[in-house]
Amino acid sequence: MLTYAFNPDIIYITESNNDGDVEFFIRFVVEAPHLEKFKEVQHYFEDNEVYTDALFYAYENHEYRVIVRSDYYVEFVLQLMKHRLVEQVQWKE
Amino acid sequence: MESQAIAAIAIFLVIYALIISEKIHRTIIAMVGGIIMVAVGIVDQEAALHHIDFNTLGLLIGMMIIVSVTAETGLFKYIAVWAAKKAKGSPVNILIVLMLITAIGSAFLDNVTTILLMVPVTFSITRQLKVSPLPYIMTQIIASNVGGTATLIGDPPNIMIGSAVSELTFMAFINNLAPIAAIVLIVYIPLFILIFRKQLKTTPELRSSIMRMDERELITDRKLMYKSLTALGLTIIGFFLHQALHLESATVALAGAFLLLVLTGEHTMEEAFRKVEWTTIFFFVGLFVLVAGLVETDVIAKLAAQAIEWTGGNVTAASMLILWMSAIASAFLDNIPFVATMIPMIQEMGNMGIDNLEPLWWSLALGACLGGNGTLIGASANLIAAGMAGKEGHPISFVKFMKVAFPLMLLSIVLSSAYIYLRYLI
Amino acid sequence: MSHQALLAIAIFLFAYGFIISEKIHRTILAMIGGLLMVACGIVDQETAIHHIDFNTLGLLIGMMIIVSITADTGLFRYVAIKAAKRAQGSPVRIMISLAVITAIASAFLDNVTTVLLIVPVTFSITRQLGVSPFPFLISQIVASNVGGTATLIGDPPNIMIGSAVKELTFMAFITNLAPIVVIVMASYIPLFVFMFRKQLQTSEERKRSIMELNVNGLITDSRLLVKCLSVLAVTIIGFFLHQAFHFESATVALAGAFILLLISGEHQMEHAISKVEWTTIFFFIGLFVLVSGLVETGVIADLAARAIDLTGGDPVAASMLIMWMSAIASAFVDNIPFVATMIPMIQEMGSMGVANLEPLWWSLALGACLGGNGTLIGASANLITAGLAAKEGHPIRFLQYLKYGLPLMLVSVALSSIYVYLRYLA
Repeated sequence: MLTYAFNPDIIYITESNNDGDVEFFIRFVVEAPHLEKFKEVQHYFEDNEVYTDALFYAYENHEYRVIVRSDYYVEFVLQLMKHRLVEQVQWKE
Repeated sequence: MESQAIAAIAIFLVIYALIISEKIHRTIIAMVGGIIMVAVGIVDQEAALHHIDFNTLGLLIGMMIIVSVTAETGLFKYIAVWAAKKAKGSPVNILIVLMLITAIGSAFLDNVTTILLMVPVTFSITRQLKVSPLPYIMTQIIASNVGGTATLIGDPPNIMIGSAVSELTFMAFINNLAPIAAIVLIVYIPLFILIFRKQLKTTPELRSSIMRMDERELITDRKLMYKSLTALGLTIIGFFLHQALHLESATVALAGAFLLLVLTGEHTMEEAFRKVEWTTIFFFVGLFVLVAGLVETDVIAKLAAQAIEWTGGNVTAASMLILWMSAIASAFLDNIPFVATMIPMIQEMGNMGIDNLEPLWWSLALGACLGGNGTLIGASANLIAAGMAGKEGHPISFVKFMKVAFPLMLLSIVLSSAYIYLRYLI
Repeated sequence: MSHQALLAIAIFLFAYGFIISEKIHRTILAMIGGLLMVACGIVDQETAIHHIDFNTLGLLIGMMIIVSITADTGLFRYVAIKAAKRAQGSPVRIMISLAVITAIASAFLDNVTTVLLIVPVTFSITRQLGVSPFPFLISQIVASNVGGTATLIGDPPNIMIGSAVKELTFMAFITNLAPIVVIVMASYIPLFVFMFRKQLQTSEERKRSIMELNVNGLITDSRLLVKCLSVLAVTIIGFFLHQAFHFESATVALAGAFILLLISGEHQMEHAISKVEWTTIFFFIGLFVLVSGLVETGVIADLAARAIDLTGGDPVAASMLIMWMSAIASAFVDNIPFVATMIPMIQEMGSMGVANLEPLWWSLALGACLGGNGTLIGASANLITAGLAAKEGHPIRFLQYLKYGLPLMLVSVALSSIYVYLRYLA
């Protein structure tokens, strides 16, 4: 499976299961420029052809919940990596 | 019947059959048919151009440009989430508010556009509530067709009728069609709740997660939104006043569109032009030329005479015939070619002595627009929504849709018949 | 002069001034100008639509669809590489053959399309030869404008003239303009060689590397290519015969386009229709409406009367005036709005008693098309090529181009003056 590591000084990410999909809870410790980068991730998933690949829900204080369909999990993590929201990704057995 | 007329009928029927068979894209078929009408000399290019209703095309293009720019701003998502919060996260209430938003949106925008804007946000809300999106999507499909009936710009049949008959202004459409559209929607609400109530259960935690959402985050470009709203507002005011200003509706829509492009600059222009559905525009062009062949060879006039004979020139009989025929036809076929053919026929009936054409026009509009709710293939909005739902793993089958929608469509036509009879014919 | 006429002139000059300043995209300005004409009541929408030359628009759209599908087949790359091998890899001969190919292609396709197709191949060939692409690009820009002059469909001014004047058929354009175009091209070839000879040196080794290129595999879709070439051939034959068949040119082009879509399948359609340059189409629409304001208020008739006064009604003076004025104007401003304004003016001169309009039409066509070579901003093909070159790191500066373009343009207009005088006026 794909694992990732983030820098808790700038972002906080937790995962949980939601009916077989993966639900991310994302909170920003340092907003600039990471929040803008995160919006690029959101734009990427909202602009493609699939509507339910990753659904973004914004809450107060720039806290986000993202429900990611299990077949888009890797894509989502790689997008976070691309925009340097996570620092490391690695395949583990 | 002279040979030109027979040739015109033959071309028309072959093309129509090919459009129905859906083997080849309808736009290509309609354009080829139109070109054949010109090529075999039934109409010359000049006459064909004269029959193309450029007011309809200009109005469609103008509105498509305004909407495609506005959609970029995230405004529609904002409204949907805001409404879901106002509905306290209750699935039944959300179903009703989203349906009403769809109906109002469709009254002023193209139905397909409204559906394209509403369905993604519906997926997002229903996923969070862990309820099936299907009741939401089906009610939105139905609402988009009902809402589109209410105004001149809501649905292509109305645009075409409004363009062809200059006495029927924007205000006239609202005065005459909005009341019945509102009645139909109000009658539908309890029926929707009754039909779908079992699928609309959620937990208090999931409801509260809706309530904590921050809808302001959804606006992606605030400056662009103000510009779009200004242009959209001015355009709609323009529609209300178009007769007083002696402007036709295409002028109003295109003025709104290019005003918006002046405000937003040229980089939005390329994108906006790209988003105009040119295939639909050319479909219209082809159809207008096809029908021109029938008009110029007097086929339409003969059909009109026939219709008058059947109904004995009685306006009530003619209205009901048009209303029900349009509804049944539109439930199974594309309503655009049907209306394109009916318009010159009703005009001919006017020339032949029926002096009160108004009930006939409203019957055509109501039948053609509401009839689209009958089956999944009755309107483009239905097909688009079903396609989107199917791709995300929630297929809507032909039968599943028809079981709910066909009776609702018949009910709306019964209500319309009563409305037309009571308002115009006694 | 009436109030209306003054207002029309003000709107026209205002729009024209902004178009020249290039602060806002010309399409937006032309459309806003046109809509203002309608909104101020100078023309009503009906009249405005009547003045829009849909034959020009249909012809442009039809050709753009055919070309955008053909371009996908790799045909152009194949022809260019083949020609380079034929030229034995000699830079001078390759430059000449590419210029000639550009001229011939421009005669039947839009100039911008032609340079968009030829420039990428040029870069790949010059890179391999190790020579500067500059001489190649300049000669291709010039050749595209000259070649486009030869036929009715080669350049927008010709399309507009051919649409406005029914007597000037496709054949008439070829028989009257192709000879002078061939003369101009023939006289340009030694000039090109003379001007650029120093920049066109390469080694035997590099020549050999061109000769070793494999042309097989450059055609990406040979079945589609066969379809495209058949349709293109049928369309061009259709143009040659359009008068005999009593078709207008737009019917021919659109028939070709939709037959191609019919046989190549609908997946091509969305792509092909979105590749149509809708900004250009709407620029035309706006301009036609702008000019209609001047026509309807009698401003154009006034101008025509003045031009007749100025030339004393002498056809030689009028022809020369039109040719040189068009050439100078087109070198610095967009030739499309200029020609759109000149066409109704020449028509007015006809109704005021200038009996033989033909030399005036050819003077306008030659001046407007060839004049575009004068500066880097004289024609869209020039700007597009300069843009492509700059992106690849070979910027073409305004003055650098002017050194070559302006003398070449003056030579061609001088040759054209002699030609028009000897053929029509002596």
